Amino acid sequence: MGARPLTLFGDVARWFADPANWQGSHGIPTRILEHLELSGLAVAVAIVLAMPIALYLGHGRRGGFIAINVANIGRALPSLALLAFGLIVAIALGLGLGFWPTMFALVPLAIPPIVTNTFVAITEVDPDVVDAARGMGLAERQILARIEIPLGLPLILAGIRTAAVNVVATATLGALVAGGALGRFIVDGFALREYDQLVGGAILVALLAVATEVSFSALERRTAVPGMAAIR
Amino acid sequence: MSGATVELRGVTKRYGSTLAVDELSFTVPAGRICVLVGPSGCGKTTSLRMMNRLIEPTSGEILIDGQNVLHEDPVALRRRIGYVIQQVGLFPHETVAANIATVPQLLGWSRDRIRARVDELLALIGLDRNMKERYPAQLSGGERQRVGVARAMAAEPPLMLMDEPFGAVDPIVRNRLQDEFLNLQRTLGITVIFVTHDIDEAIKLGDRVAVMRTGKLVQYSPPAELLAHPADDFVAQFVGHDRALKRLGLLTVGGIELDRTIDRSRLGAAPTLSPSTSVRDALAALLVADARAAAVVDGSNYLGAITLPAIGRMLRGDDAK
Repeated sequence: MGARPLTLFGDVARWFADPANWQGSHGIPTRILEHLELSGLAVAVAIVLAMPIALYLGHGRRGGFIAINVANIGRALPSLALLAFGLIVAIALGLGLGFWPTMFALVPLAIPPIVTNTFVAITEVDPDVVDAARGMGLAERQILARIEIPLGLPLILAGIRTAAVNVVATATLGALVAGGALGRFIVDGFALREYDQLVGGAILVALLAVATEVSFSALERRTAVPGMAAIR
Repeated sequence: MSGATVELRGVTKRYGSTLAVDELSFTVPAGRICVLVGPSGCGKTTSLRMMNRLIEPTSGEILIDGQNVLHEDPVALRRRIGYVIQQVGLFPHETVAANIATVPQLLGWSRDRIRARVDELLALIGLDRNMKERYPAQLSGGERQRVGVARAMAAEPPLMLMDEPFGAVDPIVRNRLQDEFLNLQRTLGITVIFVTHDIDEAIKLGDRVAVMRTGKLVQYSPPAELLAHPADDFVAQFVGHDRALKRLGLLTVGGIELDRTIDRSRLGAAPTLSPSTSVRDALAALLVADARAAAVVDGSNYLGAITLPAIGRMLRGDDAK
């Protein structure tokens, strides 16, 4: 009994060490790129769809009800259900299996944290600063671009980070609908009982999610207001 | 820069069934400071914010140099009116220089002109030039207030609107900021409309004081007049039971009629005062020295004596105002 995890550990190490697994269209680098492409596009689409609405609502200090509820509905939807739904939509639109159904599942997953954080980031900007800006003659667009977005940026980025980490972790499901990316290793490993491949894929997904988290956190720190950092 | 004339005609603001400001009318002559004062909720801030259209009046007219601001583009209007609020609202992510440059930049001034103007303003408010690259969080409360005033004055507006600008600093700094501000305003000759709930600040800074209560203008007069002849019980109570003493604070011993019948030699041990001393301080000096009269001296020139009975007559209001 005790020997099996040890064996598996050795198998996984060998799986990583095997040069064959690092080459070609089924190799680790290709799968990582596919994973990043899928996740990046999903987050980008979510930003394009959600950010303008959240900025608009936040700037007007209204629609908090909408922002919060969009987030709650988003959290309540199971990713697997979204994937099934995405599959139907993609097939109906003739987009085929794999990439597009997964996109349809991932975008709704990415939208809630982006909407909520952006809305809160804008509404939390010191009202006196906004009042002074408006009183000096900044137009509404200028208030948003010059005051509210820069001051809210760390929180906005935190929302994108949450979305990105969720998406990177969930993009694994794409393999269920014949997609590529790192989920391939897990699904195939499970189907073929090649547990070294399964565990190897799981490790890669986890590492990629952690790397996403870490790089966004670093970005958030760099965008913090210099003057405000001084008093912390 | 010079000041603009401001005139309000029947300005009213209604929120549903509540009347926040009721038929407010007054004129502020160019280059003067008008202080709107009253208890909280009296409509003074609402009135101020209607002048740069941060709040839209329900009815009435607001004229700046004869032009009705309600027919102007609000954004363009605000760029030519200085605006300072209690919490200053400096942009925390921009340096002092960038903050001050805000309106000139919006107006499209050249880089060189903006840089020169920022330096000029820093000198004017007495801030060291190496403060330029600091961020607001790195400044003291008083420095932040000064930068706020400099930022409001940057594009040489003929009118400044100030909402309790010195309310958030401690009394000592407030006093100094008030003095600096008065000097600055006298030098530049800009018109200022100033909101405060502090009657002493109103009396100190105002050329005209507008006392408001529940949205209505109760009295509009120079501070000395306000103290001498409060329009009703509310104003009398608001200016305080020591209003007579406050009025003495507005007068200097050099500016009142002195008793020249008293010879200098009779005032041997009595206090000696310079003409710029306020009558209130003169009274304090007399009481401390337990004297009935003090000599007013300009350099070596004896101007006359100020006496306790004369101050008493002024307190009772049966003498020259």
